[in-house]
Amino acid sequence: MNVECSTRELMAAFIARDLNDGEHLQVGVALPVPEAAVRLAHIMHGPNMELVFLGARMNVHHLDHMPLPQYGWDCRVVRWTESFSDRGHRFDRVKDWGRRVFFIGGIQVDPFGNTNLIGIGEDFSKLRFRGPGSVGTPTLTTHVGRYYIVLNSHTARTFVNQCDYVSTVGWDKGGVDARKKLGLPGGGPKYCITPLAVMDFTEDEKRMRLKSVHPGV
Amino acid sequence: MNKDRDQVLVDEAEALGWIESGMTIALGEPAPMAMVRQIVRAGLTDLTVIAGGLSIDLLIAAGCVSKTISYYAGGGFGVPVAPSFRRAAEAGEIEVWECEEGILTSGLEAAGKGLPYLPWRGGVGTSLPEINPDLKLIKDPVSGQQLIAVPAIKPDIAIVHAAQSDVYGNVQHHGGPGWIDLFLCRAAERTIVQVEKIVSNEAVRADPWATTLPGADAVVRLPWGAHPFYSRGYYVQDIEFVENYVTTADAAARGNRASLDAFIKQYCREPETHVDYLERIGIRRLLALPEYGSNERDLA
Repeated sequence: MNVECSTRELMAAFIARDLNDGEHLQVGVALPVPEAAVRLAHIMHGPNMELVFLGARMNVHHLDHMPLPQYGWDCRVVRWTESFSDRGHRFDRVKDWGRRVFFIGGIQVDPFGNTNLIGIGEDFSKLRFRGPGSVGTPTLTTHVGRYYIVLNSHTARTFVNQCDYVSTVGWDKGGVDARKKLGLPGGGPKYCITPLAVMDFTEDEKRMRLKSVHPGV
Repeated sequence: MNKDRDQVLVDEAEALGWIESGMTIALGEPAPMAMVRQIVRAGLTDLTVIAGGLSIDLLIAAGCVSKTISYYAGGGFGVPVAPSFRRAAEAGEIEVWECEEGILTSGLEAAGKGLPYLPWRGGVGTSLPEINPDLKLIKDPVSGQQLIAVPAIKPDIAIVHAAQSDVYGNVQHHGGPGWIDLFLCRAAERTIVQVEKIVSNEAVRADPWATTLPGADAVVRLPWGAHPFYSRGYYVQDIEFVENYVTTADAAARGNRASLDAFIKQYCREPETHVDYLERIGIRRLLALPEYGSNERDLA
């Protein structure tokens, strides 16, 4: 079967197939590919998935379509929401985040999946490029069962040997026990997905390696 | 001798009088924009601001800010980073106390609980303790684990936007308090709450479970006071207006400040009161922002 799809649809479909029924899928702002991925997985094979958009926790398996919120914090998502994790205690159940799955972007990514949302430049008080900041990604990636690094571009500017600043720790300086040594309970990054390819991490060194190249690249 | 119970209802000028240059102020979610505009109009400077999103950007653009305690300054609408925040940080004009949501809430909780710090794990192994030396890596005396000691974050004043309150400061957010307002109010010395409407004390007592924030220090009646952002149960974000701000601020960050200065003059400096601001925005624009019942905007 030959099906036409956009690159971003392909990325979303790849992620969707990797998500399991029963998992809690948390998506932050400005990440359209993960948002499409969790909704696709939910419809196709995840009736017991919980979708968490910002603080809004929902199961919308019974809906054949659900419009996108037009901006972060669009309070009308309350229509589909069963509860809010945000009623003044956002991080009070991190101990249960083992089955939570999360998605992050980054302005820099290093070979061990450490990422940077802080900025670029040697002098922190006068960055050459000031990034948006870490949001809640350090806490989330510390605790969630696994996460995916999803990038809008695949360039040498993004993939660097060393991030100027690390806002989330992937596999630190490498090695299976890298996260354990830091005391980070979560499972770390599983895949890095870009418009060109999918990367995973080697079993022993936890260094990023090419897993597949998208069709047509 | 009988004395009446004190009311905390004040007008915007009196609330503004509590805020002084040099203070640390915390802004809730949605941002209390009517009070933010008053701060700009008053020309306050040297503020340390705890906020996320575009409210902090406007205050920076207007020259009110010397330091941000920030976890996220995303731009939305085509720019990845809030434009004035980005420009000022890159120029070294503002100090950035870099943190993230779990660290921020830990620091606020420490303040509320009267503790010097609270430990937090999120951020261990990152650059945050290096670029923010107030965050201390510690060895937990109980488990021996490496954690971050987040010092108490103590705002002088928290300013939040909520649906309603009585005249005694019993505040009720529509459907719950949102993610950060209560952290900010528990940590702050004083709390100013701007509300869509004032309700009777009987209405509060009819549903006391709905009271999210007891004992606000000041309540200001500022309907539409979160515009151009949303107010749960009342109106949605004015996307076009926010887009216009972002475009204008982005042009300023690239060196052309004329339209940003005009924007700040038109919407913050010239309108003396919130009512003057609403007259500039216009009844048609405001009434076109319902949560439901306007087809092109409904999530239906």
